[in-house]
Amino acid sequence: MLATLATETEAGLIIKSQQGDRNAFGELVRHYYPRVTHVIYRMCGDTALAEDAAQEAFLRAWLHISSFRRGEPLRNWLYRIAVNAALDVLRRRAEEPAADETLQMIPEPGLGPEAALIEKERVTLLQQAMRSLPEAARSALILREYGELSYQEIAGVLEIPIGTVMSRLSYARDRLREVLKEQMLLVESEYV
Amino acid sequence: MCEDMRASLNAYLDGELHGRRMVDVENHLAACAACRNELQELQTVSDLLRAAPAAAFLPAERFVAQLILRLNAQDTALQLPRRPLRDRPPKPAAWAGWLVPAGLLGAWFFIRTIFMLTTALFAADATGLLGQASAWLTGSQPQALWYMAVNSLFGGQVSAAQQSTLSLFNQVNVLGENLFNGFLWQAVVVLLYWGWLAAWWLRRAPRSMKVTAATAQS
Repeated sequence: MLATLATETEAGLIIKSQQGDRNAFGELVRHYYPRVTHVIYRMCGDTALAEDAAQEAFLRAWLHISSFRRGEPLRNWLYRIAVNAALDVLRRRAEEPAADETLQMIPEPGLGPEAALIEKERVTLLQQAMRSLPEAARSALILREYGELSYQEIAGVLEIPIGTVMSRLSYARDRLREVLKEQMLLVESEYV
Repeated sequence: MCEDMRASLNAYLDGELHGRRMVDVENHLAACAACRNELQELQTVSDLLRAAPAAAFLPAERFVAQLILRLNAQDTALQLPRRPLRDRPPKPAAWAGWLVPAGLLGAWFFIRTIFMLTTALFAADATGLLGQASAWLTGSQPQALWYMAVNSLFGGQVSAAQQSTLSLFNQVNVLGENLFNGFLWQAVVVLLYWGWLAAWWLRRAPRSMKVTAATAQS
């Protein structure tokens, strides 16, 4: 879990950023970069795309920081921009083939070659299953699983009713459960 | 019963159920193997998602450095602030533009005051309140000047009916000295003010449209 930025410090940095102080904004980016990029990466499923979308997201955040309402959680505001940036980047690259999404993966320590291969395969399948979800359901699931937001917060970020958040999450997990069940069985039969 | 409970399993898994609803779901799970199995599968999906290894990204310092470079380039293009606003000296053009309407308003008040004073003076003179002290006023004949201006407007061919109308205006003009000039000067000031207002609005409108478009995009 990442360290939390003191509320007073964050508020001060936001005010300075709104006054045009890039160093203050850089501090905020430094703090939120891992979380925001993590969410974007899960949306895109590709490291290079995720980095592009993260740059795009923070650039948009800088351009609109003056419209940020003080008192609202900055994390949620950044997530909203990040999800939109990720979707935009994905739409722009929709025609291009998916990149090598697992090559940049950090290997789990202590795994043997065969276990590492299975792990890599599992991650690839998971990414594929995630990509097969509709954008709306994927956004809700990622904000829940990787953004660690409550239903109320997801509703705020995606600007949808809380009932819609629940139905989208339910749909996403059910769909993922079915896809993973089929694909895992296939993988296991290949390696057993 | 199971269908109703299944709708709440995700919320239960995510710790979003409270009170009576949570107790109901827990009681049902204790009695229903199918729902327990479904909850287990949902838990597995969630665990798998969370356990998926993270990708290796640029170190934060490098990412921020790259971002700042992009911000510099972007701000140069958009003319956004490069340093805190409070450190920047105010641009002369920012307040100089407001001198125009302020000056026009000042001019309008000046004209109004001058003509009101003139009207009062001539009204006082006409009623004999100023006595001999108004001798210096008699040198100027504003009514005659106004009559000549209208006469030349009609090419010096003022008809009898027009003459009587002008005469009537002149009578009126005893109480409203320099009515024509007063109206003319004020009209000029008002037109200049409207011109400035239109120019200000045209300069402002594209910027607000740009911001709205950018906000909508994000």
